[in-house]
Formats: sequence, C-alpha cells, structure tokens
Amino acid sequence: MSVDGFRHQALFYSGESDFLQGTVPFIRQGLERAEPVLVVESAEKISLLRHELGEDAPSVMFADMAEVGSNPAHIVPAWRDFVDQHGRDGVALRGIGEPIWAARPDDELVECQRHESLLNVAFGGGRPWTLLCPYDTAALKPHVVDEARRSHAFVIERHVELPSPHFRGVSASGAAFDGPLSPPPLNATSMSFGPDDLRGVRGLVASFGAAAGLDVEKIGDLVAAANEIATNSVQHGGGSGNMLVWEDAGSVIVEVRDSGRYDNPLADRARPAGPRSACGLWLANRLCDLVQIRTYRTGTVVRLVERRERRQAPPGWAWATN
Amino acid sequence: MLQTRSPAGLKLTGEIDISNVDVMSQVLRDYADFDRPLHLDLSELLFCDVSGIRALVAYAQTVDNDRRLILHGLPVRIEKVLDALGWSETSGLEFCRCGIES
Repeated sequence: MSVDGFRHQALFYSGESDFLQGTVPFIRQGLERAEPVLVVESAEKISLLRHELGEDAPSVMFADMAEVGSNPAHIVPAWRDFVDQHGRDGVALRGIGEPIWAARPDDELVECQRHESLLNVAFGGGRPWTLLCPYDTAALKPHVVDEARRSHAFVIERHVELPSPHFRGVSASGAAFDGPLSPPPLNATSMSFGPDDLRGVRGLVASFGAAAGLDVEKIGDLVAAANEIATNSVQHGGGSGNMLVWEDAGSVIVEVRDSGRYDNPLADRARPAGPRSACGLWLANRLCDLVQIRTYRTGTVVRLVERRERRQAPPGWAWATN
Repeated sequence: MLQTRSPAGLKLTGEIDISNVDVMSQVLRDYADFDRPLHLDLSELLFCDVSGIRALVAYAQTVDNDRRLILHGLPVRIEKVLDALGWSETSGLEFCRCGIES
C-alpha cells in the first residue's frame, strides 16, 4: 500500500557496493525526471556518492546526517523544508536518509525509530515524494531491521522492492507513543511543582547542571527547555507535575511527569507559525540533544537529555574496516 | 518593570514567566495608542520564558513601523530562543545593538 503521495521505502543493504547499487540508480532516475533530490547521509557516504555520481553530483543536494539528525526530532522539519522549498506541482521529489546507525545510543535509536513512523504521518497525503532509508543489515541488530519493516510501507531487500506486509499503517504510525523508558535511578533529585514553583524548577535544573559540569550554554538551554515543559504541565497537564533530575553516562537528564496527554504526534516537530502557536516542545528539541515523549494512560512523561559533550558523527564505513 | 524617559520606553528586569507575564502584557497594551517607537531595555532581564517572548512578538505584530518595538540589550539567551522559534524576523520588531543610550 502506498502512503498516498508519500512513498516511504526501507533499503536493506550490506556493504559498500550493495549500498551504491541501492542508492545511485535511485538518484539518477530522479535526476532524469528533473526531480529535486536531497541525500542526508554521513560525510563519508556523501563523498563516496559524489564520486560515484561524477558529473551528476552537482545536481544533487547533500546534507550531513550528523548535523541534521543528531537529534532525531530535527529530521522531519528538515524534510519539510526540502519538500516545501523545492516541491513544484506536477514534479515529485526524492530523498535518501539514513538516520539509524549501529553506534547510536539506545535512547537515540528508539527516537529514530519513532521518527521513521512519524514520517508517515508528517508526509502522508501531502506532495508526492519518495524517501529511501538505507539500513545497514550487517551492522544493525535484527530487532532494528524488523522495526524498519513496520515503519516503512515498502522494503527493498536483495534489490527487490515489495510492499512490507508488516507495515503498521499511517494511523498507527501516529498513535500515542507509550514505549518504555529506562527507569530513573533511585537517587534522582525529585521536586513537585505547581504554578508558583517555576522559578524553583529553573533553579534546581541550573544548580544540578552546574554541579554535573555542563557548560554555561547547555545549562541555559536545559533550564529554558525544562521551564517550558513544566509550564506545559501547569497550563495543559493538570496544573502541576513532578520533575526528576539525574546524571547518566555523560548526560544530564530532566524528566517531567504530569497527568496531561499530547494529542498531536507531531507537536514537537512542527515549526511554530507565530506567537499564538504551541512551541514548548519544539523549543525543547532545539535546545536539547534529545527529547523523549511518552503518553501513558496515567499521563505524560517528557525527558530532556543534555549531553556533556557532543556525540560522535555517524560512521561512514565502519563495517568495511571491521 | 520600569519606565524610561530617554528614549521613551520601558526597562524590564528580573525574570519573566507565566507567573508575571500578564503584568507585562497589560503594560504593553497600555501603549496601544503610543505614537512613536517603543524602546524596551532588556539588558538586565535575567530570564524570559516563551510566554514573555510571545507577548513581545504579539505586540510587535500589531504595530506599524512608526510604532515598532525596539529591543535594547537583548540577552544572548533570549536571542537564541527567539531564533529557535523563528520569530526574529517579526515585522515591527527591531534589535538595537548599540546600547541603551542610542
């Protein structure tokens, strides 16, 4: 089943030549049809593709996934910009995006998987375009490859493209996300807050961030993001909430729980139109390295992750040297 | 929130969040029939949440260029949030980098 005008395809590949066989003809076909083509890949794969494409390379747009998708929630807005800025009536578009690589930490990986599902919601029913998502089956764990069969309407495997019988469909792709989060440590610092406690929320995050060695810029980012999420709890999430703060493997994590629910699955990745639009979650994603949102029967959990140091770039050909 | 005489406008100090933003919005509304640019000194503003930024942007959107909002001493933190929200280019909003004495 096609997702209306949006065709979301997973490409399973193993090795460099397999990758090129799956991507280069796809790019060339787009160029022959005068379709705008954007490739969001690692810097190494971009230089390999440029070399393979030769004189066609300047007709293709490239972006580094390490910059675009370090926070997976930034990828939908990036594709949105591409489709809005380059889409013309009567001409489709095509893209290649590889957001998932083996070294992604678990919390990022699960958000990348959520991102893959949300693409179906963000672009289903809109302008016709095809997004090809390479998955390195030699490096990724089997459950990651299995999830790609559920988040993509089409799968290309051994160079054969077929509708995925496991695709969860557009509507389930946007259903409230209630997947588990790793449990907070027992010694996490906890604070309940209401409408009059936002200053205290900011103070706790600031002092915890400083004690954990975050730099001043990141402390300011985390304080502003935590303040907006706590403000959401006060204004839309039942009037109060609970905040936990802890340190984990080079990150400072702020978790806000309240009794509200997020109805809009794209709430954190829709660019605010103007001063009347909701924008707390959007801002949190702009300021934090990772934002995890879960909606359970009992309420909502928003987890903000600020890493002490920037993460490493996605690998180019790690599997080729292994 | 203090009134400034030269240039005619206001100085915001301390922290703005949903607990006090209504006060700021009301003061801005009181300037609805102000016939000149409104100068706001933000150099001593320690924190401003999205609701505060919203109020400033909403004011700027309703005024024409002769009555634009001129922000002085915009703290880099608030500028970063304004950029992240994509509201830096709001019509009626001007940023003065040359100090409050301008």
